[in-house]
Amino acid sequence: MRAERRGIGEPMIEYRGVYKAFDYPVLSGVDLTVNSGEMFALFGPSGTGKSVLLKTTLALVVPDRGDVRVDGESVYYDGPDALERIRCKVGYVFQYAALFDSLTVFENIEMGIPEHDLRTLSQSEVLDRAWEALELVNLEPRQVLTKMPAELSGGMKKRVGIARAIVGRPEILLWDEPTTGLDPVNTAAVERLVKQLSDELRVTSLLVTHDVIGGLEMCDRVAMLEGGEVRFVGTPDEFRQSDIPVVRAFADRHAAHEALDVLDVS
Amino acid sequence: MTEPSSTSPLPRPLAGLLGRIGRTSLLVSEHAGQLGMLVVAVFMAVVRVRVSWRDVMRQIYVVGVQSIPIVLVTAGLAGIVTSQQGGYQFTGSIPLYVMGSVVTESVVLEMGPVLTAIVLVGRVGARITAELGTMKVSEQIDALYSVGRDPIEILAAPRILALIISMPVLVGMANLFAILAGMVSAQYTLGLGYETFFYGARLFWHSWDMFYSLLKSIAFGFAIPVIAVHMGLRTGGGAAGVGKQTTQSVMFMTLTILILDALFPPLFLQ
Repeated sequence: MRAERRGIGEPMIEYRGVYKAFDYPVLSGVDLTVNSGEMFALFGPSGTGKSVLLKTTLALVVPDRGDVRVDGESVYYDGPDALERIRCKVGYVFQYAALFDSLTVFENIEMGIPEHDLRTLSQSEVLDRAWEALELVNLEPRQVLTKMPAELSGGMKKRVGIARAIVGRPEILLWDEPTTGLDPVNTAAVERLVKQLSDELRVTSLLVTHDVIGGLEMCDRVAMLEGGEVRFVGTPDEFRQSDIPVVRAFADRHAAHEALDVLDVS
Repeated sequence: MTEPSSTSPLPRPLAGLLGRIGRTSLLVSEHAGQLGMLVVAVFMAVVRVRVSWRDVMRQIYVVGVQSIPIVLVTAGLAGIVTSQQGGYQFTGSIPLYVMGSVVTESVVLEMGPVLTAIVLVGRVGARITAELGTMKVSEQIDALYSVGRDPIEILAAPRILALIISMPVLVGMANLFAILAGMVSAQYTLGLGYETFFYGARLFWHSWDMFYSLLKSIAFGFAIPVIAVHMGLRTGGGAAGVGKQTTQSVMFMTLTILILDALFPPLFLQ
């Protein structure tokens, strides 16, 4: 039903045989497709390459083999102009916000507007866009616009990071563990924001998260990455009913404890 | 890297040594290649007018203007020490007016550029590496790429241009201040009059010496920020990684300054 509301369509992000090794293989040939308008969650244990996979979408990490296509264009084989177009289409929310700490909140958000848009916008229009983005993430623009990132709380930094990601009016939002390090109240608030923004802005969302409950509630489809490979792709209901042990361990806490007992992990 | 296998035709210690040489060569080549690409990228950013002059001016203030006090203090002390050392060695055997030449030539050819560069390695180079390294480990560099901005244009080029522009000015100021300090010191400790000091200074002066000092300063002003930026952008591994990378960066910059300094006389003073 959520999917129908957002009008899910053609493949928007396609990972094709993505392989990446650092000291050891992190991604071992990942194939995954996220469709247009879809809200997609990627689960997996820590250190299994979820964030690395997300970063390959914008060539922030370059895979050793394979390709990533965004809206029909290859990130790696269609040249720098294509990569620039892709980066303009995508808003990236970093795990710890990654705000530029030498810039004010306004200057941080301004950086999220593509350069060619900045050249055509007046200063007041840029301010309007920043204002609107801050209101969308439930921050009071008057209070935060001139502040430095160091003056903000963790939750506020996350919101400013989200505002920077959406101010360029992207077609795709990539969320790298947006609730990590937040208290339960802020976690719930950011989760609500993720869902609200994905619905209101009608964007394609790929969410990397450890928060299985939130991810299953919000998303149209989910995938499970483990050992550098995709172990599961399906709807939240299929995820809950899956018999795959690693999926079971994520799907319910009881199964996770059982898995720990079997593995003799104290 | 894998250890040599037991089926290797070479004795184990030799295979290990060759392996270490190979790994070091790879690492050196990697650094050299990345440094070359950084220089080309900065050059292209300047040619394509992608560097904000407002950022360059801001960096000139940070790396140049704010370095003036420490550069002048260091230069002044160097001039005083040179003058006093010369006075101790010359007493009774060599005419004292030679002191003017010794101080001036030592400062202009050697101490002015090198000491200024070493001071800037600590004050500016370390700062650039730590700053960019922190941005790298806190994903701010990735964030720049993600919003379609090039860190080379926004972060690297302004810092490199600022030091290339600032360094000759700082070295010129350091030279002048060190000579003045040496002259005053010679007057007080050796009773050498200012006119006699200048007479000695003019006697052995070559106009080329000034250009030589300027050339050195430009070379040092280029090497310091290029290495600092390169090392900063290679940082990984959190806060410990930033500390380690900054230490290595200071070591590479200092070594590079001393190697360049050793290469200058055979290239330009023959």
